[in-house]
Amino acid sequence: MIDPQRYDQARDRIAKQGFTSEIQTKIALLLTTAKNGNLMFHSGVQWMHNLSVVQQFILSQYSRELEAVTLLSRTTQWSHDPGLVAEGSRIVAPLVMAWGQIMMPPGPMLNPQAAYRGISLGHAQLARIRVTPVIPENADPLAPFVVALQRIEQENGRMLQTQIRLLKNMGSEVPIEAREALVEADQKLVDGVFNDFLQWLAAP
Amino acid sequence: MPSIQFGHQQVHYQLAGDAGKPVITFLNGLTQNADLWQRYAAYFVPRGYRVLAYDMLGQGRSSKPVIDIKLAAHADLLAALLEHLGIETTHLASISFGGIIALDFAIRHGERLQSLTVMSTFAELTPQLELLGTVMLRGLAEAGMPYLQSMLYPMNMSSTWIAANRARIPAMMRAGYIGNDGYALQNLMESFAEFKPLTPDLHRITTPTLIMNGEFDFFTPRECHELIRREIENSRLLIIQHAYHAFTLELPAVTMRQLEVFIAQVEGGTWQGDQSVWVAAEDPAADIQWLPCAGDWMRAIRADQAEPAKRAPARKTPSRKKTP
Repeated sequence: MIDPQRYDQARDRIAKQGFTSEIQTKIALLLTTAKNGNLMFHSGVQWMHNLSVVQQFILSQYSRELEAVTLLSRTTQWSHDPGLVAEGSRIVAPLVMAWGQIMMPPGPMLNPQAAYRGISLGHAQLARIRVTPVIPENADPLAPFVVALQRIEQENGRMLQTQIRLLKNMGSEVPIEAREALVEADQKLVDGVFNDFLQWLAAP
Repeated sequence: MPSIQFGHQQVHYQLAGDAGKPVITFLNGLTQNADLWQRYAAYFVPRGYRVLAYDMLGQGRSSKPVIDIKLAAHADLLAALLEHLGIETTHLASISFGGIIALDFAIRHGERLQSLTVMSTFAELTPQLELLGTVMLRGLAEAGMPYLQSMLYPMNMSSTWIAANRARIPAMMRAGYIGNDGYALQNLMESFAEFKPLTPDLHRITTPTLIMNGEFDFFTPRECHELIRREIENSRLLIIQHAYHAFTLELPAVTMRQLEVFIAQVEGGTWQGDQSVWVAAEDPAADIQWLPCAGDWMRAIRADQAEPAKRAPARKTPSRKKTP
């Protein structure tokens, strides 16, 4: 579970300093890493054999992640500090490694277990990485970056619907307990990254 | 917060008070968690009770199943938790979603109960509730959790409470947004797809049962509670004045006092489960807490007999000539 205090600390800092380029860059680094992982995965499975109607869902998820990354990249005031990228990469490393394992040859297209894990990790990201609670009440609701965060999170909720349907209906040959355990493990992984991220965001 | 393992899932609980004292167990509503009963623990522990509350599956710090969760699993989990804690019997108090779990528990594990309190709940989906549930689920799925939260505040609380707490609502919504997971709420709500009405089995509940319903609860209105009252012989219906759905949060002092009176009656052997209907006093300090309910408790108003010769009441706008 995400510690609510971490949200409060990050929000307090943003309330004091505003959405500086450093803060925007930190948020954008996390979100784009998560979304690029899910994007890469959906790109890899969209031509999987026998997807049938699911293919449309996969293509839709892929497109929406692409839109989110584009929107965020365009609205972010990027910092010039390379140190942020180095620290951000360290924090998101568990996510990058997890997506790397999923994409490892033969890849999810030919590996149903990896495909299920990809859906599970994507679900965990969409469910647990929620940044709108760090937006302070004094933030300009029409600022492009704030609007982008709100839109992305709202869309995440809709995308989550597809992930839930896929988790419920795919991999039915695997016992529910095993599937739930996998999903919970991915949530813990994402929670760990996100807790670290919030601490980093709150740090001066 | 301690936890137990229930199958492959983890359940976090809070147990306050000394061992050996009578236990009161609280069951949460859909978007609630164990922390919301801390005020109740602070009230009942000094009065000689132990208070058990826990995050149900899909809530707070407990596991949040994504793929599947059966409604019956919640009552089974409660039985396992009591077993784990060495609690043979308990008073069980529950609200809304928790009320359904409590009724299910009372039907299947009634021997573990000293008393049962169900508040703002239902035993079957009335047509109105079914449609409300559908629109809530659709709102959650299509518009997201903030939409559902925004919808629940006016459904649960009175205008008075909203006006008094308006400035705090954004922070409360944010806390709810952080503490809840949309997919977990969705899973809990979707578990109703297989929900079979509990009404046909309610007669099996023989434990003393207090049914509490807010006077103005339009989410789970009187008809939901009346169904329960009619089927449980050893019950009483208590109407909380001026209350809406979430009166455990809005009127905690009144609610705690009613629970205290009920449990004292059960423990003292003076409880009379006669399916009668009562109205709770608005002042928790009043000597008499349960007042007889006059008139038809299923109605909101009582029409007077029409008297043709009687003059219409004076109006400020005398333009209409017809009498009602």
